[in-house]
Amino acid sequence: MAADNTAIIQMHHVDKHYGELHVLQDINLDVQKGEVVVLIGPSGSGKSTLCRTINRLETIDSGEILFEGKPLPEEGKELAAYRAEIGMVFQSFNLFAHKSILDNVTLGPREVLGTPKAEAEMEAMELLARVGVAEQAHKVPAQLSGGQQQRVAIARSLAMHPKAMLFDEPTSALDPEMINEVLEVMVELAQEGMTMVVVTHEMSFARRVSNRVVFMADGQIMEEGTPDEFFDHPKTERAKDFLDSIRGH
Amino acid sequence: MSAHATSMRDALYEAPGPKTRRRTAIGTVVSLVLLAVGIFFAIRQFYITDQLNERYWSFLLEWTTWRFLLEGLWGTIQVAIVSGIISMLLGLLLMLGRIGHNKVLSVICRVLTDLFRSLPSLLLIYFFFLVIPKYGIRMPSFWMLTIPISLAASGVLAEVFRAGVNAVPKGQTEAAMSIGLTHGKIVRKIILPQALRIVIPSLVSQLVVVVKDTTVAYVVSFPDLMQNARVLISNYDALVSMYFVVAIIYILINYAINQLSIYLAHRSGNKIVTRASENPL
Repeated sequence: MAADNTAIIQMHHVDKHYGELHVLQDINLDVQKGEVVVLIGPSGSGKSTLCRTINRLETIDSGEILFEGKPLPEEGKELAAYRAEIGMVFQSFNLFAHKSILDNVTLGPREVLGTPKAEAEMEAMELLARVGVAEQAHKVPAQLSGGQQQRVAIARSLAMHPKAMLFDEPTSALDPEMINEVLEVMVELAQEGMTMVVVTHEMSFARRVSNRVVFMADGQIMEEGTPDEFFDHPKTERAKDFLDSIRGH
Repeated sequence: MSAHATSMRDALYEAPGPKTRRRTAIGTVVSLVLLAVGIFFAIRQFYITDQLNERYWSFLLEWTTWRFLLEGLWGTIQVAIVSGIISMLLGLLLMLGRIGHNKVLSVICRVLTDLFRSLPSLLLIYFFFLVIPKYGIRMPSFWMLTIPISLAASGVLAEVFRAGVNAVPKGQTEAAMSIGLTHGKIVRKIILPQALRIVIPSLVSQLVVVVKDTTVAYVVSFPDLMQNARVLISNYDALVSMYFVVAIIYILINYAINQLSIYLAHRSGNKIVTRASENPL
């Protein structure tokens, strides 16, 4: 889990508005290679938006975002090529509904990387086996449980050999008994040294796996620190209130 | 008609209780009686006006009558299929142009879509029959019928396709973006295949409209089913019987198209059926 000192993702003075709403306010955040950063905070705090700006699913109004020292491409083929390097896992899985599980995983490699079919399928089967859904390869997404779908979504991202992965509330749409099967896959990825930015409400995951916890509220980063620092000695009132409210039940 | 409630009924209404069942039973009996009375009076009226007389029906026993009708039917089928294909392609292009990034193209496609959608197909046919030849452009009556019908349908289909594209969840596009697909590939590989499945039932109902539109073929003297029926009517002076037979043929054609739609919807629906509902879209 040791992170070396190259910031792979850098955000400098990032601002974003939705009309009147100032959803991201002067965000400064560096993510080191191999680091696992967890974004937490109350709903509406801007953590999902922040996560989505990193692969430009959300544009920003001002400031800059650098990946490996270069500003994000703004459009076209360059942007698509950049996104191919960043994995993304969504709250609602977003598997391609009309394609089989296997095709979901091979589509990216075949269409974007130009991997030959046989090779792409072999690798996809390995990935599906790794996340424990190899038997489902020829089903369509709707035939799988939420937990299985989300693991396929992770395999789909991994098939692109991403340099970093974004997780936007990956377990929030899951039934409780399925959360752990997804978290386990994420823990494994983290242990293998994947650079990860994770928006989540799973405090146990944050504590166990992350190198750094970033707490957001009202579009601002209120505080950040190691999981032990943050959970045991939160510095701001907002963070204390937030932690109390989730421990309350 | 079956004893089992259909899925649509299940979705819209709760299961009937004892009172409702009694009321439904009474309603069924009453409407059957009314239907029988209606049929009785219709036949009586035919009898009184002598429409049941053999001379109005005997020509239907002749092979030449049916050959002539079948020739017309073949004309109808040709126009319907060619119009169906052209209107689908054109509708698809109009929709793609409209949702594309090019502002000028988008406005042009939007105006054309609205124009084709709001003009009656008969008016378009008159345009191709009366106006265009004045500028020295001659075309066979087949195309004077097929092109305007295609144009009218393409406007509707462009909107149908657009509704389908809008119905594909945004997450599908975002997921496709996140694995690095370019815009064109997202449209071709992710959005259109799903959008088309969603709109199959609407596409087929539009094909029914196209079949019905072909009946104005007489304007350009194209020998379709309706036109040939009119010829037979004047030959045998058999208005009611001929229209009766032709109506049944149109009903059969459109019934077959609707069955096809149900089959297609089932087949593609099975592929993306959700766990929550066993019923396809």
